[in-house]
Amino acid sequence: MSAHAATIDAGGAPAAGGATPGGSKGGSLRTKVLIGLGIWLGGTIALIAIAGFSGTRNKEFEPQNEFKLDTWVHLGVFSINKAVMYLVIAATLTSVTMIYIARRMQQRPNRVQTAVEIVYRLMRDSIAGGNMDQRMAARWFPFIGTLFLFILFSNLIGYLPLPTNTEHELHVAGLTIPSFSLYAATANLSIPLVLALVVFVSYNLEGIRAKGAIGYLKSLIPNGVHGPMAGFIFVLEFISNMMRLLSLSIRLFANILAGHLLILFMAGALAVLLGSAWLGWFTLPLGIALFGFEVGLVAALQAFIFATLTAIYLGGAVAESH
Amino acid sequence: MLTALITVFAVTEEVAKAGKSIGLGVGGGLGAVGAGVGIGIIFGKVIEAITRQPEMRDEITSIQWLGFALTEACFFYGLVAGLLAAFIV
Repeated sequence: MSAHAATIDAGGAPAAGGATPGGSKGGSLRTKVLIGLGIWLGGTIALIAIAGFSGTRNKEFEPQNEFKLDTWVHLGVFSINKAVMYLVIAATLTSVTMIYIARRMQQRPNRVQTAVEIVYRLMRDSIAGGNMDQRMAARWFPFIGTLFLFILFSNLIGYLPLPTNTEHELHVAGLTIPSFSLYAATANLSIPLVLALVVFVSYNLEGIRAKGAIGYLKSLIPNGVHGPMAGFIFVLEFISNMMRLLSLSIRLFANILAGHLLILFMAGALAVLLGSAWLGWFTLPLGIALFGFEVGLVAALQAFIFATLTAIYLGGAVAESH
Repeated sequence: MLTALITVFAVTEEVAKAGKSIGLGVGGGLGAVGAGVGIGIIFGKVIEAITRQPEMRDEITSIQWLGFALTEACFFYGLVAGLLAAFIV
């Protein structure tokens, strides 16, 4: 028992392991884990005992309505709905925070400035600089940096619960407010698609400017392919060039959408849908873990991927051969 | 005659529903299988590469995340196709 507890202690807190006697500290960690597990399983069993194992299927609740866009302000083409609001928030946040930090740069940076400088260096050196030559990187860095920051902010505010769900309303102290829900502008296919279109047009134009229209189309064929095979390869490469548009937009959209759906289902929608109370309690830890995973990894990773692929495509379009 | 027709229509609707469910299951499930294998291979190779050349760690890490996201996206292509089959087609 004590030896086992000591190994847990060594794994959990290596810094404190030497000074304190392993038994008591390891024991407390173990106890905490056991108490947590006990609360979780005990709650599940208690809820099964109270509300029964199987519930009735809830026909009224439709999970896809979480992603439905209700028009709030009717302005024809410029109507405002949830996605537009998230877009505006993300764009404002991106520009305001970055301009604010850039205005008050100091010789001795504080924590925020250090973090922004790390992001700046990542965008400049590894995303733009690593995939294009010097001149191209200098010219396209602002575009790629903006894409990265905009997608990052857009993904991150998607994980803040905002009062946007006008389908279900809360009544608090006489006021009627929309209930809080998670939504992200990037969880709607049209926004990643527009971003991907901008990228698609710009790298193709850059390629045509560097090599001429015919030269650019010819450069799609890899070196060393001749004869009738070249036509076949050309068609393949042309299609794969078009597919970049699809893959670039669907990658971002589906990642964020699936993340939101998983959080939604794990954090209660499954229980509401199937009408069994214990399921909600049972899946809640998973929901919290998924939330952490999405905020900590997926949001930043997808922004990074989008920007990196943009840089790779731009670099590849002007490269001599590929 | 009429009852037979109604039965046939009812059955076809049930079959269509079953097909949609199968589409969603296969799209999500097989997508997850492929992406799971791919992500496993990527991280295995990364561990191998870093143990061989620890000094390349930073470079390998950035390539690793690129590969991870590209592979993970394949799962979502399957899932989106499944969702299309189940809810839209």
